[in-house]
Amino acid sequence: MKSWKSLQALLVSLVMVIVVTACGGNAGSTPTDSSTAEGGATSGSASGEVKITLLNSKGEILTQLEDAAKAFKEDYPNITLEIIPVAAGQSPFEKASALYAANSPSTITMLDTGDVEKFKDRLLDLSGEKWMSDAVDGSNDLTTFDGKNYAFPLSIEGYGFIYNKAVVDKAVGGSFDPAAITTTKALEDLFKKIEASGTSALIVSPMDWSLGAHYLPLSYAGQSADKAAVNQFIADLKAGSVDLASNKVFNGLMDTFDLMKQYNIDKASPLAGTYERGPEVLGKGEVGVWFQGNWAWTEISSFDTASGEYGFLPVPVSNNPEDFGNTQISAAVSKRLVIDKEKSTPEQQAAAKTFLEWLVYKEKGQDFLVNKASIIPAFKNITLEQKNALAKSIQAYITNGKIEESMSALPADHWSKLGASMQKYLAGAADRATLAKEIQDYWTSVK
Amino acid sequence: MISEKGRWSRLRLRLLFTGPTLFAFATVMIVPFLYGIYLTFTDWDGISTTSTMVGFENYASVWKDAVFWKSFYLTLKYVFISVALVNVVAFLLAYFLSSGLKGQSFFRAGFFIPNLVGGIVLGFVWQFIFSNVLVSIGQKAGISVFGTSWLADPDKAFLALIIVTVWQYAGYMMVIYVAGLMNVPKDIMEAASIDGATAFRKLRTMILPLMVPSFIVCVFLSLQRTFMVYDLNLTLTKGGPFKSTEMVSMHVYEKAFLSRDYGVGQAEALVLFLLVAGITLLQVYFSKKLEVEA
Repeated sequence: MKSWKSLQALLVSLVMVIVVTACGGNAGSTPTDSSTAEGGATSGSASGEVKITLLNSKGEILTQLEDAAKAFKEDYPNITLEIIPVAAGQSPFEKASALYAANSPSTITMLDTGDVEKFKDRLLDLSGEKWMSDAVDGSNDLTTFDGKNYAFPLSIEGYGFIYNKAVVDKAVGGSFDPAAITTTKALEDLFKKIEASGTSALIVSPMDWSLGAHYLPLSYAGQSADKAAVNQFIADLKAGSVDLASNKVFNGLMDTFDLMKQYNIDKASPLAGTYERGPEVLGKGEVGVWFQGNWAWTEISSFDTASGEYGFLPVPVSNNPEDFGNTQISAAVSKRLVIDKEKSTPEQQAAAKTFLEWLVYKEKGQDFLVNKASIIPAFKNITLEQKNALAKSIQAYITNGKIEESMSALPADHWSKLGASMQKYLAGAADRATLAKEIQDYWTSVK
Repeated sequence: MISEKGRWSRLRLRLLFTGPTLFAFATVMIVPFLYGIYLTFTDWDGISTTSTMVGFENYASVWKDAVFWKSFYLTLKYVFISVALVNVVAFLLAYFLSSGLKGQSFFRAGFFIPNLVGGIVLGFVWQFIFSNVLVSIGQKAGISVFGTSWLADPDKAFLALIIVTVWQYAGYMMVIYVAGLMNVPKDIMEAASIDGATAFRKLRTMILPLMVPSFIVCVFLSLQRTFMVYDLNLTLTKGGPFKSTEMVSMHVYEKAFLSRDYGVGQAEALVLFLLVAGITLLQVYFSKKLEVEA
């Protein structure tokens, strides 16, 4: 009986150990909130040291951002900025809402434009910031609610047909002039010439995000140069009063898509391709054209055979060069920085604001944006010249006012659902009437 | 010893052993489950600070969500085919690898290994095989069926899912069947041999009826695992091409986290839970009746 008692005591203490360590482990799994929120607050009052975190959802600039955090610390020794990466393939919304659910949001979060509204109750109002007056016109429209702007526009990104200059030069026999491609007909001629020169014309990457979030939205944005008319078009789609099958812009865009299908290097099995294949065949000069955006620069340059010379062509929607969309490429602010107001201390919020100002106004900040991270900034006061060909090309379109607003605030599942519909069309498993119907059905079912 | 003590000390003793487990089970299973049920009555989007009670509206949305029922039907088809194949293959493997084949332990280990690989890794490996390895073999050797990626065609992608599932689970179920085969009493088999029964006769009238308990366990396990398939679905086909292989778990996840329709997603998860629980309970209940005594 005695040994039983001691065994019992041993077991009880074992249970206690398990319970205690379990609780400890629980606290340990959310180091960001306890260490930053409380640690920042206590040490902040003691020595003026503040620690802030930034959730980075632009995986390709992770190391550059970490270097920027070091450079920032040189200018502001009492602020430590820690970068939290979002795992590859995970959506920033998912990661950010998981952090909020765990009560440990990062001080600064990098969100996609369309997600800002969902978080707005928990975010700091940034309307009074100095950089507001230097931001590119309209860049804050989509993150302003009830007259308050909740986000910092980090980067402009654009997309269209990327061409490999070496290939198209050879095809046209001389120096290729991108300004000549303003109609579907001209694009087809270019494709024909490229094929005649012994290279495949283009590659269509079949990812749902590329087709659903980039290509298809051209049919919404291309409706009119007037943003209000585009918004009205979306409202009409939701109300079910649009007949896409007879819509001129939609049909024009799909005519171009038919052309892409016809000259696609992967025509035999159009859905088998992967993203990685795109930059490889374009960079190596196996195709002349690829529908994609400036974010692909790093991958393209690692296969580059055109001495770094690439550029963008618009996606034509008709055979009239005057029509809207035929000379414009799509661009918009894609990533936004927002500051948490729920769990961050006033010191942390002030430090986060300092970091945003540093990006816009300090030499090191601008150097990080433009030279290190190849970001096209959304601020008029930053005049540093872009180094890479794709960013240069977009900047040229911006300077010439040849920009069509990207639809960056579409419903969250738009890319996935209508991307699938576009894939079906690409694979020939659905005709245009079915596609139009699926798009209309999606919009009338969306909340 | 328990009976010597009073009610309080008996309870204390029981809590000592089951308490920690009960506590863990309650905090990570019961409480989230109940909270999940609560969420099915709200229109929460996963992040907003406010949400309103909407009553049974989410359940009505589940009923009206044609894609949910389509993916549920697809899952049923997948479950039916893969449960049948997994168990047939597993039983045959077990039968032949218990018949005194040379090196049979080595083969058993070999067939079991796929089960040690996580579903995510396995999916990526097979994705590479289906879309790169087989395609390049097919193009070089001129085998037209492998000429293009299987994962780009709806029917073949579905077939690919089933092949990988069978490959993954057959080894695991085989181990259970091997154990079942070992438990078939030797004296009965000996008596049958003396009476001159053929191998097929022995299998049909003695081994199979005596192994019903193994079948119950294996069918139950494979039912539950294939119904809830998500990792393989995500990494092998991503639900594609054009959502034609999107199983029900994936649909529920996307409803909640991609469409930001948390309430409806939760309601769909609960409906799925009830359906799967119902089907597996029925399976166990009816197959229990087939059990025989040796």
